[in-house]
Amino acid sequence: MGLAGAKTVSDRQSFFERHSFLLRRLHSLSGIVPIGVFLIAHLTTNSSLAWGRFALRGEGEGMSIAQGGVKYFQEEVSYINEQVPHLLLIEVTLWVSIAFHAILGVYYATTGKGNTAHYPHMDNWRYSLQRISGYLGIAFIFYHVATLRWGWTWLVPGGTQWSHHFSASTLAAAIQGSPEGWTALGVAVALLYFAGITLLVFHFANGLWTAAITWGLTVSVPAQKRWGLVCFGLGAGLMLAAWSSLGAAFMVDPQEARATEAEMILHEHGPEELQRIENKLEGRPPADEHANAGGEG
Amino acid sequence: MSLPQAHQSTLAWRQANRAKAVPGRTIVMTVRRCEGPGKLGWFESFKIPVEPNENVISCLQKIAANPVTADGKETTPVVWDSGCLEEVCGACTMVINGTVRQSCSCLIDEYAPEEGDEITLEPMSKFPVIRDLWVDRARLFNSLKRVRGWVPIDSTAALGPGPKEDQATQSTRYAISECMSCGCCLEACPQFLLEGDEDAWDSAFIGAHAIAQARLFNLHGTGKNLAPERLDELMGPGGVADCGNAQNCVKVCPKGVPLTESIGAMGRGVTMHAVTRFFKGK
Ligand code: SF4
Ligand code: SF4
Ligand code: FES
Repeated sequence: MGLAGAKTVSDRQSFFERHSFLLRRLHSLSGIVPIGVFLIAHLTTNSSLAWGRFALRGEGEGMSIAQGGVKYFQEEVSYINEQVPHLLLIEVTLWVSIAFHAILGVYYATTGKGNTAHYPHMDNWRYSLQRISGYLGIAFIFYHVATLRWGWTWLVPGGTQWSHHFSASTLAAAIQGSPEGWTALGVAVALLYFAGITLLVFHFANGLWTAAITWGLTVSVPAQKRWGLVCFGLGAGLMLAAWSSLGAAFMVDPQEARATEAEMILHEHGPEELQRIENKLEGRPPADEHANAGGEG
Repeated sequence: MSLPQAHQSTLAWRQANRAKAVPGRTIVMTVRRCEGPGKLGWFESFKIPVEPNENVISCLQKIAANPVTADGKETTPVVWDSGCLEEVCGACTMVINGTVRQSCSCLIDEYAPEEGDEITLEPMSKFPVIRDLWVDRARLFNSLKRVRGWVPIDSTAALGPGPKEDQATQSTRYAISECMSCGCCLEACPQFLLEGDEDAWDSAFIGAHAIAQARLFNLHGTGKNLAPERLDELMGPGGVADCGNAQNCVKVCPKGVPLTESIGAMGRGVTMHAVTRFFKGK
């Protein structure tokens, strides 16, 4: 068009600016797929620690709710670690996505400046909370993964390690502070988890709501409201799943859980395998080592 | 101040104040002064006897006539910008008690109903201050240029009658056409920050008003000829994706421009535009 006016935006900018549209949309997309989808799968799996007893039906005959939860949860974890194909590929995809989403997210967050003091609307609070939950969420995910997946046991109050063979008992030990049960530091870890998962679930639900505006799915105010209800419902459901998982991990008796899990291994693989796994977890010299060092975060 | 600043602008609060306004009172007007671009600001207070239904501008006129502060010090008259005095030009926009709005339509009875009540005036913080309450809104107009906020009809030949417009499009467009380029939506936006460097304007966040104007002209029968250019601009750095959906803009817009809906609509526009472009190869 032969019109005076704005210059076309092109070749005078940083990498971020030149690809701003693509990066923004990939940032939005990566929060939903794969991260959001993984979050849903992860939280529903974990919450089985709370409701697993009811899913076991006849199999759980005579078991307490806690015991049934431990059994069902262990079955899920074993399934993920031993039967889901391409686990490493899935994990790497997740790492890359989370790193991408986090790095860009922090960069984007620095382009704004919250002003809830002057404009204390609910939407404006959501805006600020989305950024705060992003920052804290990154820190929490790092702690969560470093302690339970990478085995940075020096960050765990009791110094215990997580094992996918003893998924519930080692999780409970990490969150309660010791394999014997609650300690003061354990309560602090549990509170950290509570804050972390609550913020991240909010971040996901709210991100899903705003993504619909960004992509242009919800244009009218009623559509934005309706989609808001859907996101709220999803968020509330995930919040329940997250809190019940944490509640269960905090209430389960690590020693009882350990017994249940040991029995499951014994039942399925025999006493030698149980011995081998236990040796490995306690750091004792292995009798014969064909280590299977897979795990799930 | 009688209430935390942020709550002072709620409608119910203003109406209640108006009902109880004391006749013949004197109020205190505290103004953020600034001698020129880049200079540091300071506050000065003035005692002003007010009559019923007075507004902020008429109080500023009283200060101009008698520039003496509350503690009796002679000072320079306060500078401000205004035009229509009926909330249609946007020139008098400023931050009153911490929240942005037009000062000409800001009634003293609603903000300072009792003897000695205080009103605080500050210039908008997202634009460079020229002097006192007067700011330079050039970047706002630059944003309108970025989205080509006009109908391209440059021609020496007669173009004939304009295209027909259906009722639904007309009502969508009418609401957006009410924008008076005041800058409230930008002042309240957490993503729109002060940018003194003119060269950065074309890649800094464009602002809700310009996104809405892009929609206005993309919906126009002739204006839509420039739609691809507008969408390109909104896809670029500082485009529609920089919006963080805090939705402050729509809450402070004095004209009720459907800003957040326009942001959604233009989000859809650029999504479609990007997909089309990907498969068409520009
Ligand atoms: S919705 Fe977007 S444009 Fe409006 S105030 Fe929020 S961030 Fe700014
Ligand atoms: S959209 Fe509303 S707040 Fe923004 S410049 Fe226009 S009239 Fe002012
Ligand atoms: S002077 Fe025109 S809007 Fe106030």
